[in-house]
Amino acid sequence: MEDMELKNIWKEYDRRIEESKILNMQSWALNIKTYEYLQTQKAKSGLNALSGFKKWMIFAGILFIAFLVLLIIKSLKFQNIYFIGSLSSIVIFNILAIIFYLRHIVLIHEIDNTESLVEVQEKIVKLQTSTLRITKILFLQTPFYSTFFWSRAMITGNPTAFFFIAVPVTLFFAALSIWLYRNINYHNAGKRWFRILFSSKEWTSIIKAVNFLKEIEEFKKEAV
Amino acid sequence: MQTDQEEFLRLIEENKRIIFKICNSYCYNKNDHDDLAQEIVCQLWKSCGKFDTEYKFSTWMYRIALNTAISFYRKEKKSAPTVPLTEHLLHVEDNDGGTGILEAKINSLHQFINELKALDRALMILYLEEKNYSEIAEILGITETNVATKISRIKEKLKQKFLTINY
Repeated sequence: MEDMELKNIWKEYDRRIEESKILNMQSWALNIKTYEYLQTQKAKSGLNALSGFKKWMIFAGILFIAFLVLLIIKSLKFQNIYFIGSLSSIVIFNILAIIFYLRHIVLIHEIDNTESLVEVQEKIVKLQTSTLRITKILFLQTPFYSTFFWSRAMITGNPTAFFFIAVPVTLFFAALSIWLYRNINYHNAGKRWFRILFSSKEWTSIIKAVNFLKEIEEFKKEAV
Repeated sequence: MQTDQEEFLRLIEENKRIIFKICNSYCYNKNDHDDLAQEIVCQLWKSCGKFDTEYKFSTWMYRIALNTAISFYRKEKKSAPTVPLTEHLLHVEDNDGGTGILEAKINSLHQFINELKALDRALMILYLEEKNYSEIAEILGITETNVATKISRIKEKLKQKFLTINY
């Protein structure tokens, strides 16, 4: 089969589309008045849905931070230093996550379909996999949930329990969160612990996005 | 505004076969096909203000249509079609005796294209639409050399597949 034959088959296909009059039956091309209605419909799917999810996470995050700040203000005494320190650290990690979510929303709105296919698809996929980055930042706050009940009285009153139970538990969570921070990335997306950690739906969409990202990388490579 | 709409509809009218072919290449069923076509038209309308006269209209249109189709395909990706994609348009009677073979070849070409990865599929559509390598490179965002090499490899695969079929 020659090159021309491939193109001729395609031309014949084109001719038949015209000949079959099927396009005359297509209301989509002529129905511009439904544009606004469709925009509302589309807001429920795709990138807009991703943006909606991130907006919801920002809202929930702000409420959580407000609650923690209120607790901190109510407990402003020197003897509550561990409690205040722990909550402040948690607040910092949540503020970081919100900043990331805000940045993602800006990026979603910057996606421009008039750019090249590789650029646009790469941006979309990277946004989808960015959930991983936020998740691993949020994992870093875990050890602070085990320190907020620490107090001077606990350390001096029962040092054995403190040093042999409370500290090791915190160290364990610290080590675990650092390990997760370092290992939650798309290279490990196929591993069992990763699949257990993320729900099947999240995992499926992340795996799909990761695979497509690899496909884009492959496509960009100069073929030898 | 009315003039803008009229001009836009004229351009869509002129290019509707391209939109139709892109939809057929990225959709497995009729309902998805119509949804995607509508989505492409919406995206084109929405991007009207961003049209840069520095580029050719076709480059702009292909970028939007293919980006929309690939995003749609990734979102809606389902199992392979059970009926030929062109079934609904190739029922037209033709007195030409060779029509059966030609129809089978069109369906085969379609099937082969649909087996390609999303970006390779876009590349092949542009090649078959007789876009030059420079425009294909611009639409896809890769180099002309890369376009040439990839096209040559995909064509070779297509030819091999055609050879395995007896018409």
